Amino acid sequence: MTTGESAITPQTGGFVPKLNLGMFFGVRTVSILATVLFCVGIDFFSGPQFMSRYAAGLIFLCGTYVALSVSLNLINGITGQFSIGHFAFFQIGAYTAAGCSKAFYATMHLPTLEWLVLMAIAGSITAAIAGFVVGLPSLRLRGDYLAIVTLGFGEIIRIATENITYLGGSKGIDITPHYQSIALIMLLAVGCIALSRNLLKTAFGLGFLAVREDEVAAVAMGVNVTRIKVLAFIIGSAFAGAAGALYAHKYGFIIPDQFKMDGSFIVLTMVILGGTGSVTGSILAAIILTLLPELLRDLHNVSFGGLIATALMVLVATFGIKRVIDTHFDLLKMKWLSALGVLAACVIGEIIIKMLLDLFPHVRTHAPIDGAQLRMVIYAATLVIVMLLRPQGMFAHHEFSWTWVKKVLHSKTAVKS
Amino acid sequence: MTVLELDDASIKFGGLIAVNKVSFQVNEGQIFGLIGPNGAGKTTCFNLITGVYKPTSGSITFLGKSLSDVHTDKIAGLGIARTFQNIRLFSSLSVVENVMVGGLLRRKSSLPSALIYLPSSVTDTAQIRHRALELLEVLDLTDVADVRSKDLPYGKQRRLEIARALATDPKLLLLDEPAAGMNPNEKVDLMNTVKRLRDDFGKTILVIEHDMKFVMNLCENISVLDHGEKIAEGLPQEVRSNPKVISAYLGESTN
Repeated sequence: MTTGESAITPQTGGFVPKLNLGMFFGVRTVSILATVLFCVGIDFFSGPQFMSRYAAGLIFLCGTYVALSVSLNLINGITGQFSIGHFAFFQIGAYTAAGCSKAFYATMHLPTLEWLVLMAIAGSITAAIAGFVVGLPSLRLRGDYLAIVTLGFGEIIRIATENITYLGGSKGIDITPHYQSIALIMLLAVGCIALSRNLLKTAFGLGFLAVREDEVAAVAMGVNVTRIKVLAFIIGSAFAGAAGALYAHKYGFIIPDQFKMDGSFIVLTMVILGGTGSVTGSILAAIILTLLPELLRDLHNVSFGGLIATALMVLVATFGIKRVIDTHFDLLKMKWLSALGVLAACVIGEIIIKMLLDLFPHVRTHAPIDGAQLRMVIYAATLVIVMLLRPQGMFAHHEFSWTWVKKVLHSKTAVKS
Repeated sequence: MTVLELDDASIKFGGLIAVNKVSFQVNEGQIFGLIGPNGAGKTTCFNLITGVYKPTSGSITFLGKSLSDVHTDKIAGLGIARTFQNIRLFSSLSVVENVMVGGLLRRKSSLPSALIYLPSSVTDTAQIRHRALELLEVLDLTDVADVRSKDLPYGKQRRLEIARALATDPKLLLLDEPAAGMNPNEKVDLMNTVKRLRDDFGKTILVIEHDMKFVMNLCENISVLDHGEKIAEGLPQEVRSNPKVISAYLGESTN
């Protein structure tokens, strides 16, 4: 009965976990140094002597979208507050930076980098205040109703900026230190990831997850639901605001039309595609969805026939694999084999169709559409296919970690034997 | 010592009086039963006690403190924990994490320390986890500690709800139909567990239950509600032979 009694009598304090403080802070310092080194390293290697401005810009965009999706994941995935107005906070950060730069940059004579840091902080503060304001209705609204409020909020912000002449109105505004800081955006992204990870590693994060899972039960367990919801909105929007400030300075020009709600939906797609609640999933999805439309620009050289054949085969493969997943096999190995079989059949099918199409050179040379024009169609189709095959997102609720990989591998071998 | 006292507590929803001037006292160390036919207002009583609803008239006091101004999420902090009639677990969290959410109430570290991962938050988490595991041992759930709670069989989910409620260190435990959907063996186990919570750990327990055998064997004192009103109170054998109770459950004879 000894263990039980100590569990039930309050605050026995019988168990004091030992933490090697030297080791703890050692590991922390090393990991923080490594992160900073990583950010500065990326900044260095994206310089003009190593890669084109276009490629460096893509790296910057990846950083921006990682920060956006991981911060939205905190609101949407971890705390379960369905927000579809994340771009509003992004825009607030961007316009704060634009306004402050217009008003003060010329007179303050600060070095560019310091100014950017200052603007990121300013952007995050204004966005956090906005996040607080949006967080308040979330105390009363749930699910779709909250989604509509956040959607409306995003539109209000965009239309308001269109009508503020000081901020350029609908014609847009120039931002004076026109500077792309990859180091800063990477630091921001990593900071956002670190924060989410810390939250999920400690017991505090369970409070956030409990709000997502069941609000009524969370309240009954003494979780301060009000505080947690508002905090999630404040933290999430602060990161989006800082990202917005850096984004504004990267392009040196912003216009309200850039912040239409489709941007919010892209960020939301990243969170859902990665698996709601999974930080690593959000990161991966953000990188893939940022790079995919850019990589598809290279489709100029693909023939129309080839494109049709590929699309057809991807469709067949999707439903084939879906079929395989849904069918019950006793052995996981069988599932893998049949999925591979479907894929192989599709590749062969593709080759045959292409050969057939090549018999009609007329079709091939006078293709009505250039492959690159279809890139957004392909982008959209990819989303549909991923969602069909894996509706819970790439990582579902899991995080990518080596223990998780081991567990998955282990369960596979267990099924095999 | 009186732990919980309802004094003429009533609540109206529009024209419907769901609970009408109900008074009873639960003493320390008691296992108190609240029974009645469907729709009698038992769960509404629980909701009144836990602050989900505020009584339209009358008062509820817990350890001498009125609960009428206490917000729902502060109730657990005072020492009242509950389980739910329709199981409300944090379904995609693991069993031990579910219990840890209950333990979160007694944490010592703050949110900023968790966000920047200070040692205090790490040791705090380890302590909460350790205590959660101890509670799982009490309720015989240790072997499923890392299973997702929605994957548990029904009886274990019910026990997990009790473990989670216990993690908040309650003085008073409210069990809303804990035996619903359990098979006879599970019911016997549950009865022993509830008795143990009182005998070994000194919890005061208020239980709503439909299973008469379960209630009669478990509770020392029983209140019977019907149509929002208390129609009887007393020892199990007194309540069982009370004609009002019999008519509430079986209906009056027509002749």
